[in-house]
Amino acid sequence: MASIRLRKVVKKFGEHVVIPEMSLEIPDREFAVFVGPSGCGKSTLLRIIAGLEGVDGGDVIIGEDRVNDRPAAQRDIAMVFQDYALYPHMTVYKNMAFALEMRNMHRAEIDRRVRDAARMLRLETLLDRKPKALSGGQRQRVAMGRAIVREPRVFLFDEPLSNLDAKLRGEVRTEIKRLSQQLRTTMIFVTHDQVEAMTLADRIVVLNGGRIQQVGTPEEVYNHPANRFVAGFIGAPAMNFFPVNVEAEGSGFTAVLRDGTRLRLPISQTEGIRAVNARDAVLGLRPENVTTREFTHSASVRARLDVVETLGSDTFGYFGLAGGQYVARLKADFGIRPGSEVELGLDMSAAHLFTDDDGHAIQ
Amino acid sequence: MVSATALRRLGGLQLALVSLVILAPVAWMVLSSFKPSAEVTAYPPTLWFTPTLDNYRQLFSSTPFARYTLNSLVVAAGSTLIGLGFGVPAAFAVSWRRMMWPALVTLAARMAPGTLYLLPWYLMFRWLGLIGSYWALILTHAAITLPIVIWVLLPFFDAVPHSVLESAQVDGCSVPRTLWRIALPLVVPGLVVSAILAFIFSWNYFLFALVLSNSDTKTLIAASFNFIGEGATYWGALMAAATLIALPPLLLAFAVQRRLVAGLAVGAVKG
Repeated sequence: MASIRLRKVVKKFGEHVVIPEMSLEIPDREFAVFVGPSGCGKSTLLRIIAGLEGVDGGDVIIGEDRVNDRPAAQRDIAMVFQDYALYPHMTVYKNMAFALEMRNMHRAEIDRRVRDAARMLRLETLLDRKPKALSGGQRQRVAMGRAIVREPRVFLFDEPLSNLDAKLRGEVRTEIKRLSQQLRTTMIFVTHDQVEAMTLADRIVVLNGGRIQQVGTPEEVYNHPANRFVAGFIGAPAMNFFPVNVEAEGSGFTAVLRDGTRLRLPISQTEGIRAVNARDAVLGLRPENVTTREFTHSASVRARLDVVETLGSDTFGYFGLAGGQYVARLKADFGIRPGSEVELGLDMSAAHLFTDDDGHAIQ
Repeated sequence: MVSATALRRLGGLQLALVSLVILAPVAWMVLSSFKPSAEVTAYPPTLWFTPTLDNYRQLFSSTPFARYTLNSLVVAAGSTLIGLGFGVPAAFAVSWRRMMWPALVTLAARMAPGTLYLLPWYLMFRWLGLIGSYWALILTHAAITLPIVIWVLLPFFDAVPHSVLESAQVDGCSVPRTLWRIALPLVVPGLVVSAILAFIFSWNYFLFALVLSNSDTKTLIAASFNFIGEGATYWGALMAAATLIALPPLLLAFAVQRRLVAGLAVGAVKG
């Protein structure tokens, strides 16, 4: 077990700078998730920690050791790859035992560890099989078993669920969560799927363009996004963004939509708005804060639904307003039809406000 | 529109033509080796004759054929081993690092005409006192086997997923160990194919042995040249020698026929 620290890490591929300069600390025993769109540098960052990529500047520190010049083989980390990367010519047992053999571990100890891990992952009956005789989910479990037997200081997962079908993905996700609670080892999980990030992480690191956008608990990242990128990336369907003018009204402020609709902003944002002297801004409301109108709602808009998605538990209605396209989370109701006019209630207490230019949250 | 039957017939005709071009000399060689010497060069060639082993008798009585066979074996096996010893790690490195120039250099060296090397090598090996030794032949033949091994193995190594090799590294393997324990077992078919091709090419290579060997280390193919004299050429004996020389590569190729085809096709349909 060990903490991980990145100090001013820079990574280039040729002339192309992938990670401009990044500092990050992941405390011991924490489950951290790197999340971001394709090409944001999350996998590169993981590979840097693993030792599969070098750095062009800065320090990588695992525990107390600066490991910049240490090859992957000597970093005492285990990694689960996206395509599982099992050794095709070895049985499941051999796959799991291999890393221990490389460390010249005693045969009895290897056997104990492999069998323990196999039991934990329900692989006991598959130990003599070769990877090609396994299903995707089983291969995934072998890949995890191979990491577990190592009892490493750090576990790294590189998008390990992306090759599984939706149902299996959910199951394995739960399995990984359970494992992390059992093992209590530092874990880093890379994904582009914000649902995986929200469900697995102790802390989420949101990345974009090689830069950290926000580091926080799932609750912080969801409820207090640091900027418009994080607000839009975390949560599905994505947050609605309305371009607004901010006007002072009484002791507080009001957001005015392009079509003139006036929405009173929560008192809690007054200080923030004053501090940045915001005029033009972007109002953010998650779909669940744009719902079928109830009497508790202070603000409302009328809208015609263009597209309706019924999921059973939820119904999402897409509508146009003041020149933009938005989505509301409506009551679960299979009766709602596209084209219907609805009165939507806006929960302004949950409203987010972002600066118009650089998208920083106004809080 | 050309009908499917016509196309098939055309294909059959093509195949027959190509086979004729390739197989006719082989048939001529084998038949001639069993002909009485007067009939070997007869025109038009005779198809019906009383087979005789005279040519083979002459071959064995007038030359130390077993000795030459041993020389060929030592040189071909030695240069194949050297080719594998250097070519396998080289192909692995080239594939892993996606750095093509070392492979291209070996290929360029192979593309240059052999005569280009003869004088410098002759001088070099004379200074080293190695003319007439197995080493001179083994080392020079390695220039033939090395590019074969590298280029045959490259697509095999390319087909091994990168993540599998990285996984081995994370599991604690050094690079040589990754090659030995993980990559090599996955490219065994390529290894077999490259070894056989290297062996065959070295076995059949003529030029270097002609200059760099002496009567003790002469390889079969260079020795068979002795039957072509200034005054007379012993075609019968030459054909007998050629038939025997062709036999081991032919048997090798037959033995691993299926692997050979699969192995040569790897570059075309990877994965």
